[in-house]
Parts: sequence; C-alpha cells; structure tokens
Amino acid sequence: MSLVLVSHSKSLAEGLRDMVVQVAGDNVHVAAAGGTADGRLGTNAEAIVAALRAILAESGDGVLVLLDLGSAWLSVEVALEELSDTERARIHVSEAPLVEGAVLAAVQASVGGTLSEVAAAAAGAASMSKAPGGSTNA
Amino acid sequence: MPEIRMTVIDESGLHARPAARFVQAASRFSSRIVIRNGEREADAKSLISLLGLAVRLSSVITVAAEGTDADAALASLTDELSPYVTPINGTVSQ
Repeated sequence: MSLVLVSHSKSLAEGLRDMVVQVAGDNVHVAAAGGTADGRLGTNAEAIVAALRAILAESGDGVLVLLDLGSAWLSVEVALEELSDTERARIHVSEAPLVEGAVLAAVQASVGGTLSEVAAAAAGAASMSKAPGGSTNA
Repeated sequence: MPEIRMTVIDESGLHARPAARFVQAASRFSSRIVIRNGEREADAKSLISLLGLAVRLSSVITVAAEGTDADAALASLTDELSPYVTPINGTVSQ
C-alpha cells in the first residue's frame, strides 16, 4: 500500500512525506505532489499523474490519495482521467484531513493493511481530537 | 489475561513515532492487546485509539494481552517500548 499526498504547497507535501515516513517507517511508499509546475501555490494534474504512475509502478497494490483542500480534488479528477481503468481501480481518493489522515493511513499500510483498511484508517482522522486529554482552554 | 505496568519516561509522552512503533509491533500478534491509562483504554493495534490515550511523561500505563500468543506479545511490546518506558518490576500478572 502506498500514499500520494496532494497539496497546494510543494513544501507542505514534501514535509508531510518526510514526517509520515519517519512515523510509519520507510517500507511504506509515499509520493508528494505539491504546487504548480512553475513553483507557485496550486495543484498540478500532471505532477499528480506522474506521482501516481511512479507509485503504481513501485508497488503492486493499492494507492490512497490524500488532499489538503477541496480545490485539489479537481486536479486529482483530471489526473485520474489520464490513467487507465486498471490503474484507477487500484486508487482510492480520501476525504480525510491531510496530516492526520496521512499518518493514520501510513501506519495502517505499514502493518499490511489493504486499500480499504488503509482508507478506513484515514477516514477515522475526521473525528480525531487534537486534544485527547481535554483542551486546557476550551 | 497477562499484563504489565510501566512508567512513561519520554518527555513527550507516547507521541506519534513510538505510538506507531507500538501499533506495528502489536499487529504482529493475534492476541487482543489493550493499553490502559487511568480510566482510558485503547486498542494497541489502532494508532487513532492510542493517540487518544493522552499518555504523558510519568504516566503509568498497563499493557494487557489476551490470546494464545499473549505472553510473547507482552515481551515483544516491552522490548519495543523500552526507549520510552520503564517496566514496573513485579507487576506481571496472569
């Protein structure tokens, strides 16, 4: 199981990739696709296609795609149209919050989770508290 | 149900990286494994569950396992967590 992290910011996507690999271990393949082709803030369907193809070639199983903001969804849709049905069948696009979703998904992937198990782990991030012990200034 | 108690010695508590190591180690065993911190209890094979335990420096946690490989699981988890916790001697019970 692999992850593709899509962000409007190249540094955000790459920084999160580094963090996810440190937490989950480097046996989980993680690709980052952030920023526009000319280095501005935005998403880039071509970069997403390249990241998806690279990661699909590296590992024989599924790929979970996580996004930072909803507007990235449009670029992901364009990217998916570039792929074959066989490639698309191995990809799931998650609506989970990016950081928590990526960490939870990567750890689930590292213990041998299937695409649906990894997608479910990421989805759990939507209800994850930032202050599990109770916020001190709520 | 064998269990072991330990004191957390990592200043950051059970943060993302050790929690992930713990989930990875626990997932290698078929036993049901739980971690308790006070009144909270988490499934050791679920990162989201573990991160919700709010384990801090000096927290005393209990790891309990139930199943055919429970003893091996506890030994492995104690080893995996050794950089972050100190087992409390004499608390292993059956």
